[in-house]
Amino acid sequence: MGQSSSAFGAPTEFNRPSNRFNFRTSAIVSAFEPNEEVVDAAEAEFLESVVVGRDCTADLPDECLASIFHFLGSGDRKQCSLVCQRWLRVDGQNRHRLSLKAQAEILSFLPSLFIRFDSVTKLALRCDRKSISINDDALELISIQCRSLTRLKLRGCRELTDEGVAEFAKNCKGLKKLSAGSCMFGARAMNAILDHCTALEELSVKRLRGLNDAAEPIGPGAAASSLKSICLKELINGQCFGPLIIGSKKLRSLKLIRCLGEWDKVLDMLGNFNTGLIEIHLERVQVSDVGLCAISNCSNMEILHILKIPECTNFGLTCVADRCKLLRKLHIDGWRTNRIGDEGLMAIAKQCPNLQELCLIGMNPTSLGLAPIASNCVKLERLAVCGSATIGDTEIACIATKCVALKKLCIKGCPISDAGVETLAWGCPNLVKVKVKKCRGVSSEIVEWLRERRGSLVVILDACESEPLDGSGSEIGVHESGIEFPPIGNQVADASSSGNGRLAMFRTKLGFFAGRNFVACTFRRWSNNDDSFSGDL
Amino acid sequence: MSSSKSNKIVKLESSDNKTFEVEEAVAVQSETLKNMVDDGCANDTIPLPNVNGKILEMVLGWCKKHVDETVTGDELNKYEADFLDLDQADLYGLLMAANFLNVKGLLDRVLQRVADMIKGKKPEEIRRIFNIKNDFTPEEEEEIRLENAWAFD
Repeated sequence: MGQSSSAFGAPTEFNRPSNRFNFRTSAIVSAFEPNEEVVDAAEAEFLESVVVGRDCTADLPDECLASIFHFLGSGDRKQCSLVCQRWLRVDGQNRHRLSLKAQAEILSFLPSLFIRFDSVTKLALRCDRKSISINDDALELISIQCRSLTRLKLRGCRELTDEGVAEFAKNCKGLKKLSAGSCMFGARAMNAILDHCTALEELSVKRLRGLNDAAEPIGPGAAASSLKSICLKELINGQCFGPLIIGSKKLRSLKLIRCLGEWDKVLDMLGNFNTGLIEIHLERVQVSDVGLCAISNCSNMEILHILKIPECTNFGLTCVADRCKLLRKLHIDGWRTNRIGDEGLMAIAKQCPNLQELCLIGMNPTSLGLAPIASNCVKLERLAVCGSATIGDTEIACIATKCVALKKLCIKGCPISDAGVETLAWGCPNLVKVKVKKCRGVSSEIVEWLRERRGSLVVILDACESEPLDGSGSEIGVHESGIEFPPIGNQVADASSSGNGRLAMFRTKLGFFAGRNFVACTFRRWSNNDDSFSGDL
Repeated sequence: MSSSKSNKIVKLESSDNKTFEVEEAVAVQSETLKNMVDDGCANDTIPLPNVNGKILEMVLGWCKKHVDETVTGDELNKYEADFLDLDQADLYGLLMAANFLNVKGLLDRVLQRVADMIKGKKPEEIRRIFNIKNDFTPEEEEEIRLENAWAFD
């Protein structure tokens, strides 16, 4: 931004170049004044222009027009491209993000599309299930036209093969982020990316059908020295990423979500050879306390999610607490198996004073575990508890009196009543927002009362039986998008899956999604927002 | 910033020869002026042939408001909202001045304001608002529409 030498699309008779900052002046509907000698002509022109209707944006430099477009979404930009030749050109040349329908028929449009959009650095290619997707030739064409691509997202591009992805990788060596979902290529494609895209920082892979049990090992590759984030979802043989996970020495974030097979071995190697991780998400994967103790070697760990992993118990959590004293955000979904409870929380309370965010789902903590957390975790800002039979008014009162730093509180499906909500009127001096959902003992009257007592506090009471969760999906972030959330009703049914649930879990096809919790979604939204304000990691 | 500069006054002259004197702290809200000050070019009156007096006064008013410590957050929000209640001519003049002078907060606000005029509108409506002539042939327009269909909204 700042001074610009502008190149206008539509020259007019007022094309006077010679002022100091090379700024084109025009006398008419702009603030820029002409020289003395043409004042009268300018006046006349002004009056005429009002009648004729001169292009108000003609005087704006291209750079300004482009900046206006950056404040618009893709849909609006499409409308802008139809306004006039100049707007078409400026929009096209300043479009850095593009999301295309990657059906086979797009092939003939690709050359003209990428002449028009010649500055794309972030590209998404999405094909729906019913259509045939683009093939390797199309991808190669794109890779030649967009050599400076930094981000690529592929969804449902089932016609792409290992060879096609390899050719792409050779042309787009500057790629920093790759997200591939529901495609058919496999390990050879992954290795090609890792060999050629040496600046790769983020790799996210979901349902790659080509990664079967016969897949070759993946990584480390040349990109291992720059890779910071790996996310693996719904893979049959995700373990083949083992060498990459262990060999990426700058790896800070690892997410393993609903990937088959046992992961203790990989985590054990991680704990021995690559302990720089800061963020680990484990969800519906086969990990036991052995794996938890292994990752406790990552002494810089700040964010840990243990969701629906019945083989993780208090023992493993205590191990993590003892050695990961920088823990800031902890999410646990105990899946009602009661393997993690007060004992684990007490260890966290004792060892993790930096805790800012705590989300407990499907667990049964009592004051025994919560009180120490409330007292010792003096930085705790966000707390969510869901589906807990043991959280009642006493526990809320305990939170109210002891959680001095708490800003946001969410209680869902717990046996609290108006008495508990009442205590929030006097406690938690920094409280900004409270959500109470599906707590039958809480009335709207007490909520109104609380709103009146504490004017600045936002209180949300939601007693709906079935909540649409797709709204929150879009706010969560790349990894969680595209998941369908079933209504809350199904979550209560989950209670029946204890002990033997593990086998059943792995027998079901990977399309089994039930159980994403609304509380956790809300939480991610909150903490994402908070991160952007606080500039946190 | 050394103490010898703390009360320094910056003199500016608009295209229509109006002079404005502002404290340096106000002037340096403009990155362009800040660079001049840092480079030592701000000792004499700085001519701004690209910006007329009316617009320059507005911009300097904005800058003054943003260094004034007595102004509360709410007051500032209201000020910013009222500030952009302008007619189109002033709006574009302000946009170009904010761009040239590189006053980031102001520039973003004005850009957003203009963007809001475009949001949700069809090309014909946009052309009416901005007095833009449609210089596409029907064939060209159709071609663009076909291409656009391949992009997600």
